Amino acid sequence: MRAATQLTAAGRAVALRIGINQVRFTALHAVGLVTLLSGILSFLVISQATRELGRIGATDLIGTLIVVAIVRELGPLITALVVAGRSGTAIAAELATNQVLGEVRALEAMGIDPKQYLVLPRFGGSLVSMFALLVVFDLVAVLAGYGATSLNGMSGGRYFAIVLTSLSARDVWLTVLKALAFGIIVGVVPSYFGLAVRRAPTEIPIAASRAVVSAIVGIFLCSALFVALG
Amino acid sequence: MTTPHVPRPLAFEHIPLGRHASQPFSLEVPAHHTVAVLGDEDSGVGLLGSYALGLDRPAAGRALVFDTDIGALDEAERLAFRRRVGYLPAGEGLLQNLSLRDNVALPLRFGSGASPQEIEGRVNVMLTAVRLAAVGQLRPAQANEEERRRAALARAIAFDPTLLVLEQPFDGLTARVASELLELARGGESAEGARRTIFITGQEIPSLLLRRVEQVYRLTRAGLLEPETV
Repeated sequence: MRAATQLTAAGRAVALRIGINQVRFTALHAVGLVTLLSGILSFLVISQATRELGRIGATDLIGTLIVVAIVRELGPLITALVVAGRSGTAIAAELATNQVLGEVRALEAMGIDPKQYLVLPRFGGSLVSMFALLVVFDLVAVLAGYGATSLNGMSGGRYFAIVLTSLSARDVWLTVLKALAFGIIVGVVPSYFGLAVRRAPTEIPIAASRAVVSAIVGIFLCSALFVALG
Repeated sequence: MTTPHVPRPLAFEHIPLGRHASQPFSLEVPAHHTVAVLGDEDSGVGLLGSYALGLDRPAAGRALVFDTDIGALDEAERLAFRRRVGYLPAGEGLLQNLSLRDNVALPLRFGSGASPQEIEGRVNVMLTAVRLAAVGQLRPAQANEEERRRAALARAIAFDPTLLVLEQPFDGLTARVASELLELARGGESAEGARRTIFITGQEIPSLLLRRVEQVYRLTRAGLLEPETV
């Protein structure tokens, strides 16, 4: 945050441009993948659940399943895994390459803070992308759930009523908090591993691999922490 | 009446260099002089630029720029102070994902409070001075070695510094181009000598340039600093 406040107007414009590029790569280019994963996951889970819960007359629990299992838990988790897998590796490899080519030292020598030029825009881009993709994931999941229930004979009106009844403000805030936490992990962890590389090109794939593994572990631990505290 | 203290542009005090050196390295670069220290890789001459800029810390002794040990400053002060020194690192250190033009503009965008129009104007002047106006949109990988070196020099003098540190600035260039770049680096003449103080490190320097360099030293593996016979 301090790095952001110290930027000059022209520096802010450069950082914003890099951040927008990061969002384009991290969010826009991943919309298809997130839509596919969310749609299939929600359709499969809700199809099975509608059939099984219908046998015991508990189809109202579909709403809880959609909200708790998919929107609140799996949505942030899968979205974060997609972002970490696609963009976390890219961020780590890019910053590691900057380091190996001597670009980070050149920035420091010019009086430019590498955190301002390299880390801050990627961090901001990851946060924005995480939120945007999570909204896409949850919307698609709810719509795919509607498709699954309607194939099993439930009306759209009833489905959306069940989902809205099950959705509380707490679910929304928890989902937003998770997106924030996972966005921080995906922005910070790969940047750290990328910049930790010294001078050897052979360190680049190692840094990318360590970054994505550490980010995934961090995401799962954070997710468990939310459940434990929630 | 006392004479005001004029800070020394660059001084190295008792810095151990090279594995085989029997004595520490000390040198003072006088204002408005162009001084070159040449030596092979084992001599440790390649470390002098990064010591001067505070990018690396010597095991003992200190490097002073305008009587200030940059490496001893806190991070924000260190970055701000480095903008007073032009630096052309070995290998140029140009950012590969930026055009030559944007590489030249980068320090101005992050380190000056100038408006975008002022920065563009200054960059145009710089590119014209180094004869890159026609190829400013090329990325470093698309440019040849001479163009990259010209861009790196333009970037180094973007803030019009009074001190320039150049690492291997003429390697791979013809004597004519090297001579032209040295004149650009000197920034014109004043009553005391060149307008800028220049410190050059490298393995060799084209003989055509020797008459424009006030002091040329050869650093031996044993750490002895011997005046080079011109």
